[in-house]
Amino acid sequence: MLMWSTAAPAVGAAFVASLVEVVEAFTIVLAAASLRGWRPAALGAAAGLGVLAVLVAALGPLLDRVPIGALQLAIGVLLLLFGMGWLRKAALRAAGVIPLHDEEAIYTAEMAQLAEAEQAREQMLRRQRNLGWAAGVTALKAVLLEGLEVVFIVIAVSAGRGLLWPASLGAAAACVIVLAAGAVVHRPLSRVPENTLKFGVGVMLSAFGVFWTGEGLGIPWPGQDLALLGFVALFFVAGLVATIVARRTGLEFAQ
Amino acid sequence: MTMLKEIAVELIGMFVAEKWLTIGVLAIIAAAGTAVRLAGLAPLAGGFVLLFGCLGLLVESVWRYARAGAR
Repeated sequence: MLMWSTAAPAVGAAFVASLVEVVEAFTIVLAAASLRGWRPAALGAAAGLGVLAVLVAALGPLLDRVPIGALQLAIGVLLLLFGMGWLRKAALRAAGVIPLHDEEAIYTAEMAQLAEAEQAREQMLRRQRNLGWAAGVTALKAVLLEGLEVVFIVIAVSAGRGLLWPASLGAAAACVIVLAAGAVVHRPLSRVPENTLKFGVGVMLSAFGVFWTGEGLGIPWPGQDLALLGFVALFFVAGLVATIVARRTGLEFAQ
Repeated sequence: MTMLKEIAVELIGMFVAEKWLTIGVLAIIAAAGTAVRLAGLAPLAGGFVLLFGCLGLLVESVWRYARAGAR
């Protein structure tokens, strides 16, 4: 029986986190494709997805062999480290202490990097093949690295609750949406409110982290799964407080 | 090889966003675990330490970075 108090945050976290990661991967694949054509970029992206699939297929079944308490504790600790890192960065960006993640700038930087590679290799006769290779590897790395984060989040928020399929569907829906939007606009998806999404994901992952870590330590949370919603509210408020404090601190020192 | 190194760095970076935040989170978890499992404190008190320790650490970490950046 699916508990919606746990399933909704798990599916929501998987969906929103995947949205952010897929947008980042898409930006880099698009840059590679714009410079060297879709063939090497698509091959690189497909190879990245293939490596990810092999990793999930190889490591997934091992999770069933780990005792549930140890699994909850390990995943809870990793989620706390990961989620609080995201939330901290999102609060600092929202406060204007560090610059916002700019997909247009990343796209331009990737294009410049690949163009530089083109110039360097122009003297070589093997130019065509080498550049296709560089674009393919760039796309592979982007898909693999961002994909690993998606895989971790999906496994982490669904571990021990039988929510792997709903969370995977949430992640898959995010992929479909980003790819459909990307196919329509053919540009980096810079209008996605990335920092707001990262703030939200940081809140949810941190809440899951406290919940799983506590369960792993044998702490009986009041209200059981419903406690998760309370944790989400508390981390949201703490994130807002942190943003306000950072903004004020910056202003005080500026004066 | 370079790619494997980059992937390893990225993976570590996923969980170690900032040194003191990472140390702080691990210390809070250790304190909560010790309180519950070794010191015989009520489990809910351990939960309180874990939850509010992390909330406080988040605000402190953001404030500390903003202060250092503004100087």
